[in-house]
Amino acid sequence: MKDLGTTRRGLLQSGAGLAAGALTLPATVARAQAPARGGDPLRVGVMTDLSGPFAGAGSQPLFWGAEVAIEMFNAAGGVDGRPVQAITADSQSKADVAINEAERLLGQERLEVVTGIYSSAHAVPLSGRFEQSKKMMWITSAIATAVLKDKNFRYVFRPTVHSDQYGEGSVSMIHEHAQAKLGTAPDKVKLGVIYEDGPYGTGVSSAIEANAKQRGMPIVLKEAYAATAPDLSTLVTKLRRERPDVVFQVGYNPDITLFLRQAKSGGLRFKMLIGHGAGWSQIDRLTETFGADVNHMCNVDPAATQMLDWSKLGPGVGDLAKAFVEKFQAKHNLRDLPPHASMGFNNTWIFLEHVLKPAVRKTGGMTADALREAALEIDIPTGGTIQGYGVKFAPPGDAMAGQNQRSIAVVMQFDNGKSRVIWPTAIGVPPVLPLPAGHAFAAR
Amino acid sequence: MDPFLLEALVNGILLGGVFALPALGLNLVFGVVDVVWLCYAELVMVGMYAVWFLFTQLGWPLPLAFATCLPIVSLLGIALHYLVVRPLLSSPPINQVLATGGVLFLLQGAMTLVFRTEFRSLGVDMPPMEVGEIFVSGTKLAAFCAALVGAAILWAFLKYTYVGTAIRAIARDREVMPLMGVDPQRIYLIASAVGGALAGLAACLLVVQLDVHPFVGLSFGPITFMICVMGGLGNMLGGFLAAFLMGIIVSVGGFWGTTEFSYVVAFGFFIVTMFARPRGLFAR
Repeated sequence: MKDLGTTRRGLLQSGAGLAAGALTLPATVARAQAPARGGDPLRVGVMTDLSGPFAGAGSQPLFWGAEVAIEMFNAAGGVDGRPVQAITADSQSKADVAINEAERLLGQERLEVVTGIYSSAHAVPLSGRFEQSKKMMWITSAIATAVLKDKNFRYVFRPTVHSDQYGEGSVSMIHEHAQAKLGTAPDKVKLGVIYEDGPYGTGVSSAIEANAKQRGMPIVLKEAYAATAPDLSTLVTKLRRERPDVVFQVGYNPDITLFLRQAKSGGLRFKMLIGHGAGWSQIDRLTETFGADVNHMCNVDPAATQMLDWSKLGPGVGDLAKAFVEKFQAKHNLRDLPPHASMGFNNTWIFLEHVLKPAVRKTGGMTADALREAALEIDIPTGGTIQGYGVKFAPPGDAMAGQNQRSIAVVMQFDNGKSRVIWPTAIGVPPVLPLPAGHAFAAR
Repeated sequence: MDPFLLEALVNGILLGGVFALPALGLNLVFGVVDVVWLCYAELVMVGMYAVWFLFTQLGWPLPLAFATCLPIVSLLGIALHYLVVRPLLSSPPINQVLATGGVLFLLQGAMTLVFRTEFRSLGVDMPPMEVGEIFVSGTKLAAFCAALVGAAILWAFLKYTYVGTAIRAIARDREVMPLMGVDPQRIYLIASAVGGALAGLAACLLVVQLDVHPFVGLSFGPITFMICVMGGLGNMLGGFLAAFLMGIIVSVGGFWGTTEFSYVVAFGFFIVTMFARPRGLFAR
């Protein structure tokens, strides 16, 4: 009888659930099938990780940046009076959730475009799905070169940088300054590379290796680890044994903080440590945790807009950057805006202003094909966006089809809680290299 | 001996100390109540947040924050038993696992709502010990010692007190002990409270080594379960020893191979153990 009772209760609960579902279903379908008339909102998917480890490693500010972009775009009138409505999805730092959410956005919500995507581990499986369904995927953050390389995707676009550029930036910076600053010939500077084992870490570390090899710089240790590893002390021991002059880390969080903490207590010393975006771009959090211990360390990423001289950007771009920073800081109390905030805003703004607007104006509707055509017509010169880079997508048939060929990654250095650009040398200030004596990690 | 290998070995033993406490708590609860608390790592996470909040936000001295964390998580263990486990004691095991799994997501979600997704840190560090070419983390060493003291107190409690004896008796024969006048519900409650307190102690040791965030349990939760199974579910001494074995495999395996390879070795060893000794490495 007990089993029967349980079954009966279960049936009742299931029935209640079905009834609730039936009540909500027509509304959902009606909303999804509503024709886009004049004044109707333009529905755009925004998928980021608002929970899980990626949220604290940059995905949250990425979303906030996109949110500000949509608010400002709508405040300026949207597309001829039609506002943009964000249909948000939280991929929870899990690839399987990202795939399920993408199915929901494409299937139930019937969206023509989804923007965002923080993690390369999500972007790799999602890109194929979007291509297959012929809907646009507009990547604002995930940087692994492997997402686009040799895929010849037609519906996947990435206005931001790709992982090969990270390796080029960090290795070039050390190569350029080795003799003058480190007193060592570039081919004698020993490099250690540690990276999380997903597509992001693997992509950037391969680029570091390729660039080091090209310049004849020896890599004494190159090793992957899981971003959720509970302990990295053995990695610290091995780095200490190999004595690299410069350590390159590619990580999210909490692996970055775990490594720094264990490196300090494990007696690891070096002349410089260079991070490569993600958790390394959350300077507020790193400074809060490590204080002066992270001062003068470096990071590679697209520049956060406040690092740039706005007067040197294209007409009106500086004003846009200023308005964004003011609005963002009014909403979110951060001392130094992380690059992800700028990436979220900038890459979403490029989509809204240079893809969505012309596509809707040209066709009167909003289809992935119209958006794709508009994206391929973009030709923004360098200095034309708030992160300094221009936009021109590699066309179909190119090895990197869908990649912004004018994107720029910079090397920045932490300076008392702020970041400043130190590479490309032409636009950067001279770096502090090596870490000064007295620094907790300075080689003795 | 290669000093770096020796350092890896020492690190492995210290890492084992970190795994040992949650493994002890989980085994205690399973041994007595016969329910796997799938949300055990999340209880530790709540304890870590408690210490962080009391220390950094309310400005309490760290020892006081630690001392408060233990009863907080212990109470959480009691609440978990009363509200979730007890109503399901006679249900199929899968229901109990799913229910405590639900609590896992509930606690992650609740902490995300309250503290958001930022990584929190105590900002406390102890200087390392330098012996020749070997560096030993002061923080990890202190945590290791505290884990040993905690385990010794638990052992003394189980060995020399009446309640401890009753707990061991229930763990050995759940059916017969009620016939001898032992109230199993009371013992279950005490075991849940002690299991919670051990999670609280583990939280105190981990919060000085890891950043706190709602998903920190992912870092050590799965491996803790593996250790418990490897040592023999419900076998406290077995779990305790398996924690050190696992720590050494991970650390020395990583030294000889790569960090990723060390986990392949650890999981491979686990699988072989399950084939060779399905009831656990140290099952009697």
